[in-house]
Amino acid sequence: MSTTMFERYGGFATVSKIVMTFYDKVLDSEVLDPYFANVDMRRLVDHQTKFISALMGGPASYTDQKLAEVHAHLGIDSTSFDEMARILREALEEGGMDDDDVDNIAGEIIKRKSLIVSAKAA
Amino acid sequence: MSAPKPPKPANDSVTTPLDFGRFNELLLQSTGVGLAAVDAETCEVLFHNQRFEQWFPAVEDANCTLQTLLPSFDFEKVAARVGEGRPFTGEIQIKSGRRPLQIAVRIETSIRGDGQVLLVECQNISKVKELEYMIESYSRMVERQNRDLLKEKERVEKLLLNIMPKTIYEEWKQFGITTPQRYEASILMLDFVNFTEMSLSRDPPALISELNDIFTGFDRIVEQFGCERLKTIGDAYMAVCGVPEPTPEHPRNIANVALRMIRYLKRRNEAHSQTWQCRIGINTGPVVGSIVGIQKYVYDIFGPGANLAARLEALSRPMEITLCEDMARHLREEFQFIPRGEVELKGFGRKRIFSLDSGPSMSSTPSFV
Repeated sequence: MSTTMFERYGGFATVSKIVMTFYDKVLDSEVLDPYFANVDMRRLVDHQTKFISALMGGPASYTDQKLAEVHAHLGIDSTSFDEMARILREALEEGGMDDDDVDNIAGEIIKRKSLIVSAKAA
Repeated sequence: MSAPKPPKPANDSVTTPLDFGRFNELLLQSTGVGLAAVDAETCEVLFHNQRFEQWFPAVEDANCTLQTLLPSFDFEKVAARVGEGRPFTGEIQIKSGRRPLQIAVRIETSIRGDGQVLLVECQNISKVKELEYMIESYSRMVERQNRDLLKEKERVEKLLLNIMPKTIYEEWKQFGITTPQRYEASILMLDFVNFTEMSLSRDPPALISELNDIFTGFDRIVEQFGCERLKTIGDAYMAVCGVPEPTPEHPRNIANVALRMIRYLKRRNEAHSQTWQCRIGINTGPVVGSIVGIQKYVYDIFGPGANLAARLEALSRPMEITLCEDMARHLREEFQFIPRGEVELKGFGRKRIFSLDSGPSMSSTPSFV
């Protein structure tokens, strides 16, 4: 069995730092604010933890169908998606991940853009 | 903002170049802790520092009280607690700009000249909370994963128990290997007459479904008599008794299984349009039982005991059970045979063979000892 990125980067000890960086950056983003403005802190942290863990092959995973399902009602537009992808990239880079792995994850995310974006750009 | 009165420096009698009043005020305003003094009677905020205002901007509103700032707090409890002279602590989630903050609040009393004031101390514990929530989230994920793994392990175990007996599985699990062992056992080999033709001429899925049904029936019989189904290969069914649990009753148990398999098929044929005819060979002899294979494990038995059973099966006519004299000797007190003469069996020389006709009353209890 090949090791996941999650294991290669030292498991949750490393991933937790990426989660926190990502969380901070998401909250600081003006573009993403409307989506997270009224979200309870516990839920938001839970969401980000699962999200980053899943991306890196940790103990959570989402099928494409599930991804589409959970994002459908959020009315996410293309700009917000791009902003999120940019923030994610930064968080992964700052978390000490290799460029190749960052590209890899970013690529996987961008591939699923159509599943997540459900609103026309304003 | 109410005019803050800087607390008196402790050593104001000593002449010093440092302005303690100014120093204390700076300290008060620049600290990361939000501080406020509240009138114990009216809950009106008498004083607050900048940090407090940053977190609770409403403190500047007219008629602002502590209750309006901390709506989720039960002020009867606060009053009761501080009345006993002990601090009240609680948490509240606020929003500072875009960011949700978790603030820990500590309220205690302080006597001020003529009346009582409540000192309110607020600490930003958001980072601690975020980490706490993250650990919570991660633990739940891991726990769920563990439950899934456990389920998966049970499933795998169940599968492995299909291809090897439980005692062998336990040994294999504990030591990573199993030692081949020699057993004195009885073996049953069965296959169906004209199965190949049947499978070509009939609807294959329906045929397999019937075969599956019949094998399931056989499994029940085998289990009932303390035997083990060793394997099936296509339409062939192989069962064994005395492996890996030795029992002196193995010839009797296998003979009983064989008779009941024939009876089961006969009854089934009466009720179905498609009839199934089998041949059975049974034999008693030494075998070696072992797991074979590295990637694809299978528990199997080897030895003359198993080979002879296969030869005898080939000699059976449809719905007949064939055995040779060595086994018949073990069974002659309880079972009836029809002699079939002597035949040359490759690798075993000339043997007198019999066909098993009947045994103890079919309703008799199976023997396991």
